[in-house]
Amino acid sequence: MQNPLVLMPVFVPLGSAALAVLFSERVRIQRWIGLAAVLIAWLASLGVLYANWVDGVQTYVIGGWQPPFGIVLAPDLLSAMLEVMATTVVLAGMIYIFGCKDKCVQLPAFVPLYLSMATGLHGAFYTGDIFTLFVFQELMVISSVVLVGISDNRLGVEAAIKYLLISSMGSLFLLVGIAAIYATFGTLTLADIARLLEGGDRPLLAQAAAVMLMCAFLVKSAVFPFHFWQPDFHTAAPTPVHAVLSSVVVKVGVYGLLRLTLLLFTVEAPLVRTLLIILGVIGVYFGSLAALRTYDAKRMLAYSTFGQIGFILIGIGWGTPLALIGALVYTINHAFIKSSLLMITGAIASRMPNKSARLTDIAGAGKTLTRIGALYFLGGLALAGVPPLNGFISKLSLVRGGIQAESWIVIGLAVAAGVITLMYMMRTWQHIFQKQPSPDLHLKPYGDSLVAPALLIGLCVMLGLYAVPLVTLATEAVSRLGNPDLYIRGVLGG
Amino acid sequence: MNVIFAIATGLMFALGVFQLLRRDLIKTAMGFYILFTAINLLFIAVGGFNGIFPAYSQNVERGAISDPLVQALLLTAIVISFGSYAILLGLIAISARRYNTTDSDTMDQLKG
Repeated sequence: MQNPLVLMPVFVPLGSAALAVLFSERVRIQRWIGLAAVLIAWLASLGVLYANWVDGVQTYVIGGWQPPFGIVLAPDLLSAMLEVMATTVVLAGMIYIFGCKDKCVQLPAFVPLYLSMATGLHGAFYTGDIFTLFVFQELMVISSVVLVGISDNRLGVEAAIKYLLISSMGSLFLLVGIAAIYATFGTLTLADIARLLEGGDRPLLAQAAAVMLMCAFLVKSAVFPFHFWQPDFHTAAPTPVHAVLSSVVVKVGVYGLLRLTLLLFTVEAPLVRTLLIILGVIGVYFGSLAALRTYDAKRMLAYSTFGQIGFILIGIGWGTPLALIGALVYTINHAFIKSSLLMITGAIASRMPNKSARLTDIAGAGKTLTRIGALYFLGGLALAGVPPLNGFISKLSLVRGGIQAESWIVIGLAVAAGVITLMYMMRTWQHIFQKQPSPDLHLKPYGDSLVAPALLIGLCVMLGLYAVPLVTLATEAVSRLGNPDLYIRGVLGG
Repeated sequence: MNVIFAIATGLMFALGVFQLLRRDLIKTAMGFYILFTAINLLFIAVGGFNGIFPAYSQNVERGAISDPLVQALLLTAIVISFGSYAILLGLIAISARRYNTTDSDTMDQLKG
C-alpha cells in the first residue's frame, strides 16, 4: 500500500538539516527548525503506526522503480513501533537542547548534525532494502562521531576515533554480507531475499552472509565480544546526544537481529538464538557488575545499557511468541527509562563547576535538589523493574516468555541480575542525593532544563500504570512477524 | 576475470588489516581506506554479469554488458567510505595537535 506519510520521518529531518545549515549564524532559528522537524517526524511516525495497525505493511516506492528492483521504504508493525520509540526520544533530546548549557550545543553544526543523525536512525528502521539500511546506518554513525568529537568533554575526540574505527569494521562486515547476498540471490530487497530463502535454496554463501550480518548488528548494539567501544563513546558524548545514542541507536542492532531471525534466516534461527542467549547472559552480568564498580555516573548508565541489551537478547534468543513480546516491550520501555536517566544525570553534571559526573566529585551534589532526586529515584526504580513503573511490565513480560520457553536456568540468572540493577541504581542515587556534600562544592544556581526528562519519566509512569496499549501492539506485531508471508506480500504485492 | 578479483580482494584485505593494527593512527587510517577499497573490488566481482560494455549499450550480445546495480552500490559505498575517511583524518589531526603524537598507545585516558 503506497503511503507517502512513510517518507516524512526520514526526509523532513534531512531537509531541515539542510535548511538549518543556511541559518548557521542564528542558533535560535536552527533550534526552532529542528524542533518543528522532529515534531513533524513524531506525528508522522504515529500516523504510520496507526495505518500499520489498521491495514498492514505500509510502503513507499522511491523513484518509481517497483520492488524488488528499486528502493522501497516498508515499515511493518515492528518497524513502526520502534520508530515511534526513536522519534519520541529524538523529540525529547531536541527539547533538552533548548535548555542545555553546554558550549558545544551553541555551535552552528550541532543542530544540523543532530537532525542528520535522526534521519539515519529513522531511515534504518523504515527501509525495506538492505543496502539502504547500510547507508542510513553510516549516516547515523558519521553524524554521531562528529557530535561526540565536538563534545565539551576533552576525551570526545579520542572516543570518536575509537568508535569510528570499530563501527566501520562493523559496517564492513555488513557490506561483505550484502555482497554475498547479492552474489547468491541477485536482489537486495529484504522481502525478496526472504521469499527466495523460503523457497528452500540455501547455498553456503547465504549462510556466510547470515554470519556477517549478525556480526555487524552485534557490533552496532554493543553486545559482549564487541562491546568495548560503547562506554567510552557514550560517556564522552554531550548529554542530548548521549540520551539518543545510549537508548535508541543501540536498538538498531536489536532491530537487525529481530529481522535476521524472524524474516530472513528462519531455518538457521535456532543456532543464532542459542548464541544470542549465551551472549545475552554474559552481557547482563558483565554490564551490571561493571556498572556496580565504575567511577562515573554517566559511565554507569552506559554500562547499564550494555546489561539491559543483554536482557533483550535473551528475549530474542528464547524466540517463543511471549518471549518476543517481552523483548519488544523491553526494548521500548528501556529506551524511555534510559534516556530520561541520562538527561537527569546530565542536568546534575551541568551544575557542577567542572561539569564532571565522576562519583567522587558529584557525591552529595543533589542533596538540596529534591525534585531532581525524585525524578532520578523514579527512573532508577523503573530501570530495576519495581512494580508501578514500566520497567516492571517489561521484566514481567520477559519472564513470562521464559516460562513459556521453559528455560529455567536463564530465568534464574536474569532475575538475579535484576537485583544487581537495583543495587547499582540505588547506590548511585544515594551517592548523588543522600550523601553530605563536601564543603568546597559550589554548585551553579542554574543547570540544564528538566522539562524533557520530566516528560519522559511521566511517560514511564504512564506506561507502567496503563501498559495495555503497548503490550497489545507488541502482541499484534509478534503475531504478524510469525508469518513472514504477510511482510513479503505486503512489499512485493500479490 | 573473477579469479583476479578474488586474489586482489584477498591481498588488499590482508594489507588493510595489517595497516589497521599498526600503532600509528595515520597508518591505521590508511588501512581503513584500503579495507573499504577491497570491499569495493568485491562488489564489482559479485555483479550478476561481468561484461565489458556499459549498461544499455546498443548492438551488444546479452552477456557482454556489465551489471549496473553493483556500480550504483559501489558509487554510494565509495562516497560513504570517503566521508568516513575524511572525518577520521580530521579527528586524528585534532588529537595529534592535542597530544603531540599520533601514537595510539599514548591516548589511553579512557579506561575503566
